Amino acid sequence: MAPPKHDDFMDMASDSDNSFDEGLQRKGKGKSKSTDKRKKDQNKRKPKDVQAYTWEASYTRSWEAVREDEAGSLQHAVEDYVARGRRKRLQDPSTAIRRTIIRHLVLVLDLSASMLDRDMRPTRFSLTLQYAREFVLEWFDQNPLGQMGVVGMRAGVGERIGSMTGNPQDVLKAISDRHKLEPSGDTSLQNAVEMARNSMNHLPTHSSREIVIIFGSLTTVDPGNIHETLEECIKSKIRISMVALAAEMKICRDLCVKTGGQFGVALNEGHFKDLLFELVPPPAQRSLSRAAGAGATTTSANLMLMGFPTRLPGASPPSLCVCHSDLKSDGFLCPRCLAKVCDVPTDCDICGLMIVSSPHLARSYHHLFPVKPYVAVESLDESSPTCCGCARPFPTVVSQTVTEGVSPIGRYRCPDCRQDFCSDCDVFIHDVLHCCPACGK
Amino acid sequence: MDRPSHLSVVIDLDPSRWDTLNLSLFLSHLLGFFNAHVAAKHENTLAVFGAFPAKSVMLYSSSDPIAEIPPNDANSYPPFKLVDSTVVNRIARELELIADDDLDAPVALVGALTKALCYINRLTVEANAATTSSTDQSLEPVALPDPRILIVSVSPDITSSYIPVMNSIFSAQKLKVTIDACQISGPENVFLQQATHLTGGSFIYAERQDALLQYLIMALLSPPSVRRTIAVPTQDKIDFRATCFCHKNIVDIGFVCSVCLSIFCQPVPVCSTCRTKFPIKTLQKLNSSRPPLPQSNSSRAPTPSSSSARPSTTPRPPATPPTGSDQRHLPRSVVNGHAP
Repeated sequence: MAPPKHDDFMDMASDSDNSFDEGLQRKGKGKSKSTDKRKKDQNKRKPKDVQAYTWEASYTRSWEAVREDEAGSLQHAVEDYVARGRRKRLQDPSTAIRRTIIRHLVLVLDLSASMLDRDMRPTRFSLTLQYAREFVLEWFDQNPLGQMGVVGMRAGVGERIGSMTGNPQDVLKAISDRHKLEPSGDTSLQNAVEMARNSMNHLPTHSSREIVIIFGSLTTVDPGNIHETLEECIKSKIRISMVALAAEMKICRDLCVKTGGQFGVALNEGHFKDLLFELVPPPAQRSLSRAAGAGATTTSANLMLMGFPTRLPGASPPSLCVCHSDLKSDGFLCPRCLAKVCDVPTDCDICGLMIVSSPHLARSYHHLFPVKPYVAVESLDESSPTCCGCARPFPTVVSQTVTEGVSPIGRYRCPDCRQDFCSDCDVFIHDVLHCCPACGK
Repeated sequence: MDRPSHLSVVIDLDPSRWDTLNLSLFLSHLLGFFNAHVAAKHENTLAVFGAFPAKSVMLYSSSDPIAEIPPNDANSYPPFKLVDSTVVNRIARELELIADDDLDAPVALVGALTKALCYINRLTVEANAATTSSTDQSLEPVALPDPRILIVSVSPDITSSYIPVMNSIFSAQKLKVTIDACQISGPENVFLQQATHLTGGSFIYAERQDALLQYLIMALLSPPSVRRTIAVPTQDKIDFRATCFCHKNIVDIGFVCSVCLSIFCQPVPVCSTCRTKFPIKTLQKLNSSRPPLPQSNSSRAPTPSSSSARPSTTPRPPATPPTGSDQRHLPRSVVNGHAP
């Protein structure tokens, strides 16, 4: 079973190389046909085994997706990927949904001896640290008003590695030194969750409280009844999400499901990263209320008074700041009392106004006002010759293969302003820009 | 300037500002700057976008073939002539096409800016496709060094376009595009200041319009990689004020919904974006602690109840021109009702 599979994969790689070269095009096509046949044979022999492992299944699927057209080009395979992305996006609700944007999260890292296992390259521990750093950066990028703390599970106790902070550099610094985090001993889930819960107890109710656990062990050594901890977490509306590296444990799944979080077992390195990064975007609030029952609908939202400061340049005359009494030139002026503070976001030490930089707030607005999905244009009638966004000329020939959600003439139309965009711009506008160039909304 | 650089210029062409501004002088300065950029290095690329009332147009791009090639002129260098005549002809043609009812509409600066970003994204994708043939790396913007956008603005902030402008700034950050801005007349543009600050560009307020070319050449011709070694003038203060969602006023102290971070200029009982109801206690507390509103604002602004009763979940752009224009001219202490 395994060797022919391997062959298939090799063929595919060489095919995709060749197809860029017009001279080798026929050879590539011949190969693809023969391998197709071989795969069919396999399917007949052992239909169940083909889907046995997720990683094999994904190879099979990508192999089916990458197919040349008559001219030997891979353009349709690429368009197919784009189409799949479009479809995924269409499933997302385009109306405004409630998301918790001021987030507080405790990242719990398993530092028990089980993390030295080498089933993920190079070790579970190194990989976890590497992904944790990327996760921190991405998380702060998407949740600029959030705060994050780090707790480690080592030698049967919970260990505070980094306290709650809004500065990604502080968090990164806390998990940068791997010698301080060297794994040893057993895991205690209860101790770590209790520690994380206590560090979030004082938080205002309108902010979200979350715990993300990277769990490599198959046991937990607890001083008391962990189910009581679970009840406490539900009561204080803490959402626990977990990425398990070894296998699923009943208590882990319970922790996540009952608190409204996500639970996943990583199959391989890539899947590990996917699971972890699924926790980056702010969660919709409805899932919280569903998990915690009717009581959670009263999650007290609040109107907050915030000030948007003026930033002083480095060349301005130096003066004392109110937070550290340091003599410095740059800083931010509180709009209400004109006191100078060193950094934002912060509370003004003089008048108590919450000072935030407005770009921090604006970073999340694309969640609130998403661009409407563009419609694939089917016919050449009344369409402009160039893309409205990047002025690239559109193809004038209609392509033969028809895939759902993909325009045969490469045009995607905004439902509001009726302007056409190419597929590159379509992806760029919806994923990055979040603003239609023609209607400006 | 060892590497070629790409420059996209967004020109604010608002006809209503031309009573104080000489268009032909303004254009001749700009064309001189375009020529300087083209002349600085042979591989330099240039794209010009025009923001007209209610529409935005790409006027020139060096990568797309030009339809009409101007006749040879013995007294001018052909590449300069090509840029100059294309830009001038397109501007003249687009100005003729503007309908009379559109003349008072706000300038589509956002449209031009987003088109410039789309164009840079296209260049990045194309450059990546040319250098690396593998498809999976096409999302990494590596091959296009130092793309930058210069916004030449003559009009004040368009407060209704706050969110699109901010979205454009963040995508410029992602594409590693530097945004420079040069403002020629009117009150200082808060959004452009934030854009240049967040993308590492410079904001120049041209106090003398007849010296525009000098401002442009001295401060904005050098690509960002060179600016580290030469002292380029930057703006002194950056104003981080935002626009409220309810009346499109520019505020420096706002009321923010804790769920969706919508900004309001006065306490509202229900968030118009996510429909969260706020506790009545908070409203009373905020109302009592709130500094008294200046007269200009309270007389013009609708009551909070009318804005909250609006059924739609997304704030509509106002049909009338934004109301906050008077307030912006007031000194900040007056706006707050707080004398320092």
